[in-house]
Amino acid sequence: MTKITIDPITRLEGHGKIEIFLNDEGDVANAYLQIPELRGFEKFCEGRPVEEMPRIVPRICGV
Amino acid sequence: MKKMLAQLGIEEERVRLDWVSASEGDRFAAIIKEMTEQIKKLGPFSRNGGGENG
Amino acid sequence: MAKPKVALYWAASCGGCDVAVLDTNEKILDIANLVDIVFWPIALDFKYHHVKAMEDGSIDLCLFNGAVRSSEQEDIARLLRAKSKVMVAFGACACFGGIPALANFTNRDEIFERVYIESPSSANENRTFPQTLTRVAEGELELPELFDTVLTLAQVVDVEYFVPGCPPPVDIILKVVDLFATGKLPPVGAVIASDKTLCDECERIKEEKKITRIYRPHEIIPDPERCLLEQGIICCGPATRGGCGLRCIKANMPCRGCFGPPPGVVDQGAKLVSAIASIYQGNDEEDIARMVVEVVDPAGTFYRFGLADSLLKRKRIQQAKGRVE
Repeated sequence: MTKITIDPITRLEGHGKIEIFLNDEGDVANAYLQIPELRGFEKFCEGRPVEEMPRIVPRICGV
Repeated sequence: MKKMLAQLGIEEERVRLDWVSASEGDRFAAIIKEMTEQIKKLGPFSRNGGGENG
Repeated sequence: MAKPKVALYWAASCGGCDVAVLDTNEKILDIANLVDIVFWPIALDFKYHHVKAMEDGSIDLCLFNGAVRSSEQEDIARLLRAKSKVMVAFGACACFGGIPALANFTNRDEIFERVYIESPSSANENRTFPQTLTRVAEGELELPELFDTVLTLAQVVDVEYFVPGCPPPVDIILKVVDLFATGKLPPVGAVIASDKTLCDECERIKEEKKITRIYRPHEIIPDPERCLLEQGIICCGPATRGGCGLRCIKANMPCRGCFGPPPGVVDQGAKLVSAIASIYQGNDEEDIARMVVEVVDPAGTFYRFGLADSLLKRKRIQQAKGRVE
């Protein structure tokens, strides 16, 4: 199987990688989108004061 | 300070604030001895939190 | 003569620094005329393999934003370092760790548990977690390894310049471009911002720094003319580098330190503890106890943007070591 990798995906916010597997006929057998990032806002916001949330969570996405 | 250190996972027994005057030699020695024992019981302080980066 | 080559990259980032570059508005066209942008995922289609094919040192300037918290981010940091003459830690995350460095209060296991199991929107009975290597019918898929500890760019590669801010203000970005274009970059290691503290640059009226109570920002409506600290609101101005144009202060909100420590200060959070403690008027155990309660999240407030850059770098998550009884 041939594998075509598109890394990184571009012109959007975020990180992503696409792997395309071609069979012997050259047709797409399968394609996978992977997201190679995780910052953990869901966890590290725990324990922070609630009034600071509007100053922390906008940093999830600056776009 | 202790509250902040606790948030950073540093046991409060690792930090102590005391006032000793230069003439209180015995008391100074006693406090240092106590603190040394206390720290030994706690064990070594991990350099980078045991994370894989150090 | 060939135009200088510039690359921009984002690691553990939100995209805000890239948007800040785009916020130069029409000046971006001048920039695009001045240089060849050879890699910029938010705006251009160049891939990692294009960068790998470049000659070492052929990129004249690399603006790297985002903290480093995965093996991929570390690899690309090293790759861009090899290919670039000048590496700039762009934005608070690359300089100090930024908001993503708040993950240094926890670790990968705890994050995975929360994100993939505990979170209310997850239904994951099989406890499926991301793996660095996954076998599928067609072959293999790889994901980078996530670190327990978030790192600053300088903790991974040599960095020539630091541009702080969350995000860096447009005037500083244009200054960086100008210094680069005219060959007037300062000595290596410089932070391209002000050399004063935010307090020095703040225009509010300062009288006597003595407070008897600390208020959380939502508990009072601060007077927009007077110093916030003097009104009892914790402001990180005393130990934060200036140059940001007082964006938060002008919105009547206290500084949270996104420009990092001022010159001469190694640990921003420690300096802030010292600054706040020194203005609090407390004479007895009761006053002190009250102050401890009033400062609700010291580590998260004083190290909001700089945990990765601090002396301790992260929280110690002890695995059952010795205990004092």
